[in-house]
Amino acid sequence: MEKRVKEAVRYLGFGRNAADDRTLTLIRSCFTELEHMAGPRYICRIFEMEMTEDGKIGIGRLKIESRSLSRNLKGCDRIVLFGATLGAETDRLLNRTSLTDMAKAVVMQACAAAFLEEYCDECQMKIGEELEKEGRYLRPRFSPGYGDFDIRYQEPLMRMLDCAKTIGLTMTENYMMTPTKSVTAVIGASPVKERCPVEGCEACGKKDCLYRRN
Amino acid sequence: MIRERLGKELLYFDGGMGTLLQERGLEPGELPETWNLTHAEEIREIHRSYIEAGSDIILTNTFGANALKFHDDTYSLEQIVTSAVGHVRAAAETAGAGRPIYTALDIGPTGKLLKPMGDLDFETAYEAFKEVMICGEKAGADLIHIETMSDTYELKAAVLAAKENTSLPVFATTIFDERGKLLTGADVPSVIALLEGLRVDALGINCGMGPVQMFPVLEQFLKYSSLPVIVKPNAGLPKQRDGQTYYDVSPEEFAEDLEKIVEMGAAAVGGCCGTTPAHIRAMTERCRACSLIPVTEKEYTVVSSYGRSVFLGEGTKIIGERINPTGKKRFKQALKEHDLDYVLREGIMQQDKGAHILDVNVGLPDIDEPALMREVVQELQSVTNLPLQIDTVDPEAMEGALRIYNGKAMVNSVSGKQESMNTVFPLIRKYGGVVIGLTLDENGIPADAEGRVQIARRIIGEAAKYGIRKKDIVIDALAMTISSEPEGAKVTLETLRRLRDEVGVCTVLGVSNISFGLPSRPTVNAAFYTMAMMNGLSAGIINPASEDMMKSWYAYHALMNLDANCENYIAKYSGAQISEPSGEKKENGMGLQAAIEKGLKEEAHGITERMAVMQAPLDIINSELIPALNSVGDGFEKGTVFLPQLLMSAEAAKSAFAVLKEKMDKSGEVQEKKGKIVLATVKGDIHDIGKNIVKVLLENYSFEVIDLGKDVAPERIVDTVLEQDIRLVGLSALMTTTVVSMEETIRQLRERAPGCLVMVGGAVLNQDYADMIGADFYGKDAMQSVHYAQNVFDE
Repeated sequence: MEKRVKEAVRYLGFGRNAADDRTLTLIRSCFTELEHMAGPRYICRIFEMEMTEDGKIGIGRLKIESRSLSRNLKGCDRIVLFGATLGAETDRLLNRTSLTDMAKAVVMQACAAAFLEEYCDECQMKIGEELEKEGRYLRPRFSPGYGDFDIRYQEPLMRMLDCAKTIGLTMTENYMMTPTKSVTAVIGASPVKERCPVEGCEACGKKDCLYRRN
Repeated sequence: MIRERLGKELLYFDGGMGTLLQERGLEPGELPETWNLTHAEEIREIHRSYIEAGSDIILTNTFGANALKFHDDTYSLEQIVTSAVGHVRAAAETAGAGRPIYTALDIGPTGKLLKPMGDLDFETAYEAFKEVMICGEKAGADLIHIETMSDTYELKAAVLAAKENTSLPVFATTIFDERGKLLTGADVPSVIALLEGLRVDALGINCGMGPVQMFPVLEQFLKYSSLPVIVKPNAGLPKQRDGQTYYDVSPEEFAEDLEKIVEMGAAAVGGCCGTTPAHIRAMTERCRACSLIPVTEKEYTVVSSYGRSVFLGEGTKIIGERINPTGKKRFKQALKEHDLDYVLREGIMQQDKGAHILDVNVGLPDIDEPALMREVVQELQSVTNLPLQIDTVDPEAMEGALRIYNGKAMVNSVSGKQESMNTVFPLIRKYGGVVIGLTLDENGIPADAEGRVQIARRIIGEAAKYGIRKKDIVIDALAMTISSEPEGAKVTLETLRRLRDEVGVCTVLGVSNISFGLPSRPTVNAAFYTMAMMNGLSAGIINPASEDMMKSWYAYHALMNLDANCENYIAKYSGAQISEPSGEKKENGMGLQAAIEKGLKEEAHGITERMAVMQAPLDIINSELIPALNSVGDGFEKGTVFLPQLLMSAEAAKSAFAVLKEKMDKSGEVQEKKGKIVLATVKGDIHDIGKNIVKVLLENYSFEVIDLGKDVAPERIVDTVLEQDIRLVGLSALMTTTVVSMEETIRQLRERAPGCLVMVGGAVLNQDYADMIGADFYGKDAMQSVHYAQNVFDE
């Protein structure tokens, strides 16, 4: 089974159980619609970074205080700011589906999330290949809201990426991204290749999460 | 005055500002606009070097100067804007160029997404632009230059703000990508339709791409625009080095490409990101010998939405007529109950059936039509990209809708009556639009084609006085029922033909009027539809759910070679035999309970229809529906049934209920509702999937749900509770940042409606959190909410 289908099944709360055929059919048809409607775009900028004396992460004028992010970035000397979105048309598709068929709507939500993650993975791969030429290796991406990395860092992050202009990604007053199917993240780059970088979900402290991957 | 020179001689803009400021020490994250006050000399210096390089139009350093984007504790917006305008003027003086230098107040986007897809109100965006523009005019700007817009809606807010609050010329340019689209999906014709409708002075493209990449987009601009076109490319595509973006097209290459752009037909050129005085100097020197290609009037009849343009006059277009309460009991009820979901579903259905434009009519006695019209128009634009046709006789509703509509709307309608034209044409002049002209006047509807054609000519003539061109008028030839007007069809067809051949104007018809009072109306309608298309009908207002009408439409386009290789026709009908509904076979003796448990929507519908012939609806509900729902609900809680399956069953049950409800309505039987529940996603929260899941399930269990939607203010929730005497409210929040709104809503409910219970749910909540904010119940999933509601109302 393709990874994104597996991921969608996980988001739908099947846990360790197998999804039924009707759900799988629905998942596949939702991916087809998303392929057609979604307008994925991304933006990234690479900065030098430093760990300050008082344990903060410094990216130009921006200082980030977060223990979990510091752990993630340990040993890195550069950092990639990253933003990606599936676009407003995906939100319209989700709205439309919510009005006509709720079963399909939840599946569409899950598929859009999986689609977005897959897209981010592809982008990260490309960025990683470029950076490897300079002897830098990427860490797993880390988003505002993960661990104690405050969601409010979304604002300077998006400003430094000029997300609204470059990819049409904006933020509401309450730090929610619009279009809703969007990601902002930082990706550390270190001169040392880690043997097996831990991915986002597994790194989370909430061990009893229904949606946990392992 | 720049208006007199524009389009008659080539005008030069300046180049980039941001890169030059960075070179002079602007730090990442620092607001460039503050430099107007902190580094005045540097700013003037940059302006002066552009003037010396040959620029006629200099943009003020105010790109991000609006209340939504510019937050600075030291300087006010007014200080920023006033000083910015002053710098250009001062630079012009010291440069002593010996030619007029125009100060263009630079207006960039707010960086926010407008409702309904984002959280910024159209009018808030408008106010932010207005503030800066008033300031800029007062400070002495010569024109307003709106640029780098990637959303037509925000663009519209900015242009309206400029037009309504200043007397300055307005230029507007947008940022396209290599696919020829804005970030929000708009194509070139839709941007032009919008901007021409709003009557800007010049329009065009800036930023996003280098000059070469702009050629294809520019070609389209020149093809469709009747206004002078501005082109301001970047110095190539952005590249990155050490966290910095840079551009690498040299001044010489830039100049060469810009020369081509002028030869293609641009009327004003300059540079955007990465361009420098050297680029502009090379450009002005190279283009000096170029002569300007005069702008010509284009004759396309275009309506648009935020992301799509529809051309009338190519084949015939389908205007869906279903969003209209006339003669529709269920639709009237939906409007009265403010059931917008029903209205939106009608829109989605028509798009799925093949409509190109949706007519929107929400007129009912005792209803606040202007408010409802605005709401429906905005909500429809959150689910469909079809252009809308604003259909109302209430001028206030028409203006309100035209104002907030994202695109160039179709307007239904104006007539040959002087009063009607006096009312409607000023609105079209102001907001743009393609207006339907009814061929009737103070003397009624002419019985012959000649009379109708004369009225059409009068409407076109009167519109011209407002600067509204023939291409923005579509004449309704009026279909009169043949049951009382034996010559009715013939007169209408002749009118259509003469309008096409003699007047050269687009036409429209409400087709189904033709058969009023006759049996088997679809037969007559479909035949007449074909005849009308044959006589030049540009757009038919029809029901796209009518198979007969759609068959006529597809067949006509295939027959007239308007459907290459009959592709659309074949795609539509080649599988027709297989998809004919034949539910019985598939159902295979399955019972209703089994169909619902398996989540088979169509089968559940079919089985219920057959059962309802013999059995009372309430019996079916009790013996089949409720047991099915219970068994699926139990499975969900035990972990053998999962969310998608639970909802498939819920949807199947819903389709069965719909059949029974219709039958009960006919017999006057009522299924008692168990109780009324208000559901809302709290203020500031825009995610409503969880709330929608709960809603479907509660409705399945016979609760009446008042769905207030998402981003709902606490006051509105409390008011609804008090007005409707509600005992239970369900609140949803997705993020920690919005749980505070949930807490506030509960606080206000406790204060003003102490008897009301509150259940909460959402991704960030848990029992502790729910206790902390004072909720009565925390539902960890949708079924829990159902059980809680049952307990509350069984007491």
